[in-house]
Amino acid sequence: MASATKPQSTASGVFFEGETARNTRGLLRIIILCTIAATAVASRLFSVIRFESIIHEFDPWFNFRATKYLVQNGFYDFWDWFDDRTWHPLGRVTGGTLYPGLMVTSGAIWHALRAISLPVDIRNICVLLAPGFSGLTAFASYLLTSELSDSPSAGLLAAIFMGIAPGYISRSVAGSYDNEAIAIFLLVFTFYLWIKAVKEGSVMWGAFAALFYGYMVSAWGGYVFITNLLPLHAFVLICMGRFSPRLYVSYTTWYALGTLASMQIPFVGFLPIRSSEHMSALGVFGLLQLVGFTDYIRQQLPSKQFQLLLRTLVLVIFVVAFGLLVLLTVSGTIAPWTGRFYSLWDTGYAKIHIPIIASVSEHQPTAWPAFFFDLNMLIWLFPAGVYMCFRSLKDEQVFVVIYAVLASYFAGVMVRLMLTLTPVVCIAAAMALSQILDTFLVAGEPAEPIEAPSTKTNDAKDKTVPGIPEVLRSTKGPLVGIYSYMSKAMITGAVTCYLLLFVMHCTWVTSNAYSSPSVVLASRLPDGSQHIIDDYREAYYWLRQNTKPDAKVMSWWDYGYQIGGMADRPTLVDNNTWNNTHIATVGKAMSSREEVSYPIMRQHEVDYVLVVFGGLLGYSGDDINKFLWMIRIAEGIWPDEVKERDFFTSRGEYRVDDEAPPAMKNSLMYKMSYYNFDKLFPAGQAQDRVRGSRLPAQGPELSTVEEAFTSENWIVRIYKVKDLDNLGRSHQDAGAFEKGNKKKKAGKRKGARVLRVD
Amino acid sequence: MRFTLLGLLLGFLGIVSALSATGSSLLVIIEEEADKSKYSQFWADLQGRGYEITYRSPKDTNLSLFLHGEPAYSHLLLLPPKSKGLGPNLTPNLLVDFINGGSNILLALSAEQAVPTAINSLLLELDINLPSDRTSLVVDHLAYDLTSSAEKHDVLLIPSAEPKKGVVDFFSVDGLVAFPRAVGQVLGNASPMLSSIVKAGASAYIYNPKEETEGVEDPFATGSQINIVSAFQARNSARFTVLGSSEALQDTWFDAKVRLPGTDYKAGKTSNKEFAQRLSEWAFKEIGVLRVEQVQHSLDEDTKDINPKIYRVKNDVRYSIEISEWDVDQWIPFNPPTGDAVQLEFSMLSPFHRLSLNSSPSTTNKDATAFSTTFRTPDQHGIFNFYVEYRRPFFTAIEDKQTVTVRHFAHDEFPRSYEISAAWPWISGIWVTIGGWLAFVAIWLYSKPTRDNKPASAKK
Amino acid sequence: MRISQFFTAALLPFSALAAKKPTGDRFQDSNAAQLANGRPLQLDDKSYDALTKGPRDYSVAVLLTALDARFSCTLCKAFQPEWEMLGKQWSKGDKKAESRLVFGTLDFLDGKQTFQSMALQTAPVLLLFRPTTGPNAYNDPIPARFDFSSGTDKAEPIHTWLSRQLPNVPHPPFVRPLNYLKIGVTITIVLGVITFIAAAWPVFMPIIQNRNLWAALSLIAVLLFTSGHMFNHIRKVPYVAGDGKGGISYFAGGFQNQFGLETQIVAGMYGILAFATISLALKVPRIADPRAQQIAVFVWGGVILGMYSFLLSVFRIKNGGYPFWLPPF
Repeated sequence: MASATKPQSTASGVFFEGETARNTRGLLRIIILCTIAATAVASRLFSVIRFESIIHEFDPWFNFRATKYLVQNGFYDFWDWFDDRTWHPLGRVTGGTLYPGLMVTSGAIWHALRAISLPVDIRNICVLLAPGFSGLTAFASYLLTSELSDSPSAGLLAAIFMGIAPGYISRSVAGSYDNEAIAIFLLVFTFYLWIKAVKEGSVMWGAFAALFYGYMVSAWGGYVFITNLLPLHAFVLICMGRFSPRLYVSYTTWYALGTLASMQIPFVGFLPIRSSEHMSALGVFGLLQLVGFTDYIRQQLPSKQFQLLLRTLVLVIFVVAFGLLVLLTVSGTIAPWTGRFYSLWDTGYAKIHIPIIASVSEHQPTAWPAFFFDLNMLIWLFPAGVYMCFRSLKDEQVFVVIYAVLASYFAGVMVRLMLTLTPVVCIAAAMALSQILDTFLVAGEPAEPIEAPSTKTNDAKDKTVPGIPEVLRSTKGPLVGIYSYMSKAMITGAVTCYLLLFVMHCTWVTSNAYSSPSVVLASRLPDGSQHIIDDYREAYYWLRQNTKPDAKVMSWWDYGYQIGGMADRPTLVDNNTWNNTHIATVGKAMSSREEVSYPIMRQHEVDYVLVVFGGLLGYSGDDINKFLWMIRIAEGIWPDEVKERDFFTSRGEYRVDDEAPPAMKNSLMYKMSYYNFDKLFPAGQAQDRVRGSRLPAQGPELSTVEEAFTSENWIVRIYKVKDLDNLGRSHQDAGAFEKGNKKKKAGKRKGARVLRVD
Repeated sequence: MRFTLLGLLLGFLGIVSALSATGSSLLVIIEEEADKSKYSQFWADLQGRGYEITYRSPKDTNLSLFLHGEPAYSHLLLLPPKSKGLGPNLTPNLLVDFINGGSNILLALSAEQAVPTAINSLLLELDINLPSDRTSLVVDHLAYDLTSSAEKHDVLLIPSAEPKKGVVDFFSVDGLVAFPRAVGQVLGNASPMLSSIVKAGASAYIYNPKEETEGVEDPFATGSQINIVSAFQARNSARFTVLGSSEALQDTWFDAKVRLPGTDYKAGKTSNKEFAQRLSEWAFKEIGVLRVEQVQHSLDEDTKDINPKIYRVKNDVRYSIEISEWDVDQWIPFNPPTGDAVQLEFSMLSPFHRLSLNSSPSTTNKDATAFSTTFRTPDQHGIFNFYVEYRRPFFTAIEDKQTVTVRHFAHDEFPRSYEISAAWPWISGIWVTIGGWLAFVAIWLYSKPTRDNKPASAKK
Repeated sequence: MRISQFFTAALLPFSALAAKKPTGDRFQDSNAAQLANGRPLQLDDKSYDALTKGPRDYSVAVLLTALDARFSCTLCKAFQPEWEMLGKQWSKGDKKAESRLVFGTLDFLDGKQTFQSMALQTAPVLLLFRPTTGPNAYNDPIPARFDFSSGTDKAEPIHTWLSRQLPNVPHPPFVRPLNYLKIGVTITIVLGVITFIAAAWPVFMPIIQNRNLWAALSLIAVLLFTSGHMFNHIRKVPYVAGDGKGGISYFAGGFQNQFGLETQIVAGMYGILAFATISLALKVPRIADPRAQQIAVFVWGGVILGMYSFLLSVFRIKNGGYPFWLPPF
């Protein structure tokens, strides 16, 4: 493709000359972009082809449910939606606590299709939304890169990279109906508009940037990244002495309109002027006013001392404003960093203070294989691209540098933020690679070196950047070009091989790692054939068909969204972890003795308890492995009743076998997980395949709950909470009586006789 | 509650003339045919009230309490067996299942025969304790019958107790009730479902005639801790009544003349007949059965739409529940005993309101009383319950839970900005800014310098 | 009263004697002593028993520690100043001694019997003896024991723990004193740096504005982060680990863990690859001499090929099922 887009390609034929040439190239560009978009969509359909058109893991199920609510009840009901089927009995003000962008988008698509009499099931729209938007993302990154680099091939390369990079596919395969699905497109496109605005210095582009920024805010909490990146860009430009009316116009437009737009989202509300995450934007806004003012004055009166005075004045004001900000933050008028955001900076913070955040797997730091896995060869083209941005350090390239450094830091701290890194990696890599291609794909052979062009190039380069005189060491010499065809062929061939390898890698990763809807587990049988493990849906549909529509289901919060979506039953806690205390309550119920748990479950009107148990199949993501988090979170609220220490052996091991400490053995979670498990094996042979340990010969006894359902592979087990005993006895006594061992004769009572008063 | 209604249905399906709220089939466990005649008056009374009675011996092999897994009889009267045990068909577990099935049991004991262990362990489950040695009986040296037990003092003559405040009085008869050779029961403190019907006098104590010791050390129980007749209502309102002395039901005592010692008045007739009638009425759910007729809650302002599923915070809500009571042969409006009230809880996790409902005759239903109140929903959204739980001694339990959602203010339910006087400065500020900006733009465009294009073209 | 207290304290620096004093109850004296020498009481076996024997109408918090260098108990040493600070502040905090809590420290050297009697293997151990008599008596005689296993060496958690263990008595707040020296030092340093920069501005200006410098900095940052440095920082992974047979293994097995050295190797590889790319893209076309250019192209192309294939092979170590590879590795 690069060859097709080379400006001075001297291949024969009228199509590549003059006016027609431009049209031909434009046409080719369009065709190529369409193919890229098609590729991006196609490479995300593995899961649909392999399994079925189904919503994936956890959060998407909530988004799907919300979308259904939206298309059924209309927008205003959705806005005021009070969800009484989650967080029982507190309920959740869902309309005010979610980012509506995703649901509204798919709702709009649904209505549009109906308008043209194409009634499509909303589920299919939701499943295919992410791939569809990935095509747009590819296009957006094409636009952005074309703004950043003058090479015509860079944009197309960036587009295809963005289209198939696993780092982005991981969150946008068909069925992963999550906010990121559209947010990444909005992120890239907003950046494009911002760059455009900074270059043109036009209010229009600034306004567009603000518009899409607003859309982004409505779609994803990650908008904070933009909110801090753009001001940083502006700030750095000012520090580089590159303040210009263009910057002033674009930033002020973006900030004013964008802030207003973001405040329209109920969930965001007044955060943009109350919380520290947004203060940098505000501060830079103020700073720009100051700098603009001084700039204006300086043009008016050239008196040296006055300018000095002005400078100091500006400095003083800046310092005072900053101090004021700090003061307000300390005094609490401005909300300090929110936990999730704070844990990005102080990496140890979450582990100590907010176990609930630390417990989420995608908040873990990233090891280097993950980077290579998600970005393959782009990861080493990336630095080269960043370096090339320094060559002619225009405003927009400064932006790329900042973006690159920040994003790679965040991606290093949190796995999920790999998502924000991927676009800049694709762009930078494309810039680097396009540079090579443009150099080595020149058909013509340069003449013997002469000094003339060198000087030209040099002072041309000097002109590009007024602020900073000298240039990179690597670009000192005059540009001559490549002489021998051999080296051209060699490098081109190598690069082609690498690109092919990259494509293979992406396809492999996508099909193997990122295309399984964790609702349905796929496993390989000994004979290599694929075996589908469908316990989750089996259990959820059991709930849906065999329980009262308002039967409350208690489970750990990971499964809340799925129960709400698939089983359509009220849950106590779910993946929207807004109420730590409520989650801790569930944790306490799970980690305490039955006598303690039963009153809690009665109080919360729990009808069924659902636990996930992998011991039979060796499925490691089960509740016993998550148990420690339940204990920790519960301990955070009831430090005296639940103690993590009690769940370890004296040697500090976490065990489930005979050596397991009593607190562990008596906990409701343990009992429910291993209840009747030993019946599957010959006596004393019960084996837990996850923990790899032999279980006690005597299985646990349950008195306050009774087994209601256990799925095929025992992954999901559902228990029914018993009603109070009809004769007012404790369940333990009732059970003992059923088994036939009678109570003691009361005549043998010890101590003083208790008289009855009535 | 639900069980009562179910039983009610069954009962009416059975025989329409049944007086009990739960059906008329009564099983009497009596060991020997000969003894039947002793109770002839009692049987006659029961049959007269429309029960069809089945007499079975505990030894009877094809005796079964259950038919197709459901209780085969609505009521069971257990007379003390001669033999030690009750046999395989009346094990404690079966009897408990019988109660869980919603049927009532009237258990008559007697100090003549040793109490079977099965009965003993069953009573222990209900937290009723009998003397450890099975043959001990209750004696009272101040309140015995001179004529029949001049020297043994084991026929107690007990007048009805003073009615307590807030507790319904079903059992008071005038005159004395004779309880010969009664087995005293001691009720545990644990269970709120127990209540005593007849207590022994303050000077009574439990004594075992078998042991020859002079005087008694550490009697099992003394005074008013001894219950002669006690009642237990399970959560499903099935009634289990323990009558300490089965002889009290016998004809001999229905029309016996008795005399208290140390009192001047002459022998009077016992009130056993009346008492037996009252007791069986209660035990077999002819009285004290409550039923919820209708529950209504709605917004205070528009009572049009009844029982909506969702309210808003700070709504004024009206709630009313209609309750009627089964009195021997018809439903009558229920009125709680003086000093007692039906209470409503509006609760999420814990009650936000607990209100006593004020009663008034129902407008729609002539034999029910409407208990109603109005209140304001708390400023807390969530899933709330209108919860009425009325558990009182001798009344069947009422438990009614209506779940509603209380939502937050919708976006358009707040007052508009211009209705808030404090907001006027800000609003005016906005409009001033807009106007000012427009004016500025206008002036700017108007005062745009007219440039002549010549130099520009000259430059080209 | 306070004078007399002061005298007692001054005369008897150790509460053991104070406890033996016939006059006054044990709490008064020990509290006075504690106030006087401004830190928890230094206990030994005798005074420990004297102080903690029941019946007690006050509560005692004793830190059993091993400060002597021989035991090399780092946690003990780290925690000792915090403990003393806490004790000081608490006793100063309620002058009227309403919380009736005495702080004591029992070093292993002074209290061998105590340690043996309780069969303590580890130090430090914090015991809280709650009052056995008096208004808020606590029924079980076994002292509450703080769990140091979470490895805390700060006073705040101890304070919250004590406050929780002793309900309905006043809890003097614990405020960590400002380290004025540190603050002063930092301020002076900052000012110094500022002045220095201001003075040397003409020298600094070009350095700050040097584009190569910034390029280098940002490249280093990017390479660090993308090679998983933050993971090392957060998870505190070992720098390098030995394999079973004496040698050292440079690459940790498994997808989700890594060594410090490993990340540096990876960063190096990325760096070389990036540098080669840059040279191919920017340097090579600026080489005037055709032969030199040819050689440069070969060299850099070879470097990229080799490095990339090596990178792939390394990745295959980490991720077993990875199918792709390049010659030569």
